Amino acid sequence: MRPCNSLKLEFLKNWIMGLQRWSFSKKEMGILERKKAIKLSADIAMASARNGTTRWSRALIANAYSKHDKHLVSKGASTEYSRRIRSKKILKRSCRRIRRRSKGLVRERTRILKNLIPGGELMNEGSLIEESLDYIVSLRAQVDVMRSLVSASEVDR
Amino acid sequence: MKSNPGTTETRSNLTASGGGQVTSFESLQFTDEIHRLILAPTTNNASSLTALLELPPPQAIELLHSSDSMKLIAASLPNVEDFKGSFRFPSNTGLTEPDARFSVFSGEANNSNEKRHSPESKNLSANLEKAVKSEPAETESSQPLVSDPTVDKRTIKRKDRENKVKGSRKKSKTAVNESSEDAEKLPYVHVRARRGQATDSHSLAERARREKINARMKFLQELVPGCNKISGTALVLDEIINHVQSLQRQVEFLSMRLAAVNPRIDFNLDSVFTSESGSLMDSNIPGLVMPAMWPEIQGDGNRQQYQHQWNVDALQQPVWGREVCNNYITPENSLLTYGSSANSATLQANQLKMEL
Repeated sequence: MRPCNSLKLEFLKNWIMGLQRWSFSKKEMGILERKKAIKLSADIAMASARNGTTRWSRALIANAYSKHDKHLVSKGASTEYSRRIRSKKILKRSCRRIRRRSKGLVRERTRILKNLIPGGELMNEGSLIEESLDYIVSLRAQVDVMRSLVSASEVDR
Repeated sequence: MKSNPGTTETRSNLTASGGGQVTSFESLQFTDEIHRLILAPTTNNASSLTALLELPPPQAIELLHSSDSMKLIAASLPNVEDFKGSFRFPSNTGLTEPDARFSVFSGEANNSNEKRHSPESKNLSANLEKAVKSEPAETESSQPLVSDPTVDKRTIKRKDRENKVKGSRKKSKTAVNESSEDAEKLPYVHVRARRGQATDSHSLAERARREKINARMKFLQELVPGCNKISGTALVLDEIINHVQSLQRQVEFLSMRLAAVNPRIDFNLDSVFTSESGSLMDSNIPGLVMPAMWPEIQGDGNRQQYQHQWNVDALQQPVWGREVCNNYITPENSLLTYGSSANSATLQANQLKMEL
């Protein structure tokens, strides 16, 4: 299933605007820093292209806001979500019996999938599959856009 | 009309259940028929079906006894008497369907108004004969009537009946789908249990959940390449995990490459759009969007040059690209009013905030 072009456009637009922000910071960055900045802005751009309709996008933005540079993400998008996530985490920690021994293949794999998808640990199984569906489509769009950008910039050299 | 698939399923259920009990039906598709039956004009005793229904049960049984064409009904008699809110079918498998109807009729006589009494047995036998040939749809739809006279509270009552009734029901995916659609309107999700499985509310809810999850897994199977041939949840999940991991790794590598290509963060954007326009054009990203954005974002003297260059290329674009461009140009035109780069920077910052 090819990702639709409107998604890619939205992603590209957001990404370029995000990258512009970095350029105004006016400091020298090493290659690793740059890579992190590029990846981060790409992820945030992809998540914001979803406009908060999916849980993984909200989780991604909230995580980015809490961990990384705060100027990249606007406050309004993430505070309400992060508050909800914090309360959910507290609840889960108190209620859940920690069972390290994974029962069954499906459970094990569901656990792995939950770790892969941003914000996946807090979803139940049904919505997890739905979110992973959307996440895969968005990732594909992201990869396509980045790849064409790389090929365009490398042809130049 | 939705009632048709439901009725055919229940019909097959009736014929197949044999010794099992037929239970009430919860889906909304029968409400129309229920309403019709309730409000059906009972004009003529001889011709209308509902006239029979208004008989009190002992009278109905008597008349059933007396009728000569009703050997079928005789077999259903012992079951009819202890009918009170539940339906029982005779063990006679060949007569299951017509028997169901008659037990329904006598049962309905319980709850219906006893305004009229059928005057003659002749009329009654005529009615009964007609009843035999009547559609099972009326049977099944009239069943909920009996145990739940107030149709308004049908959702709650149906759930209770669901819990009380033991035995087998047939599971239908269409019913689940409809019920899941109805669930958005109703507080309860109505599902039917598989034949021979437990029907308590927990396992039913669990089964509904499972159905939902399996439906979504089918979507995922179509999405992830190579998953169509695999059967089994664990292996499909394996493939999905691999796919997601590989996509994430690709993003990492590509961002590393982008960082390596350009010394500055936004330099890549300059170099890409000034020097090489062809590859972007050919790719699925319409580069036509860029000229609309770049003249404002760059904010330097090269603006005119970019615009000129891209306008030439614009003619070669496919039509849809041009249409997209039109959508993008108009919001970007507002940026043109801001001349200086400082203003454009703040504007972009605001716009990014809005979008994020």
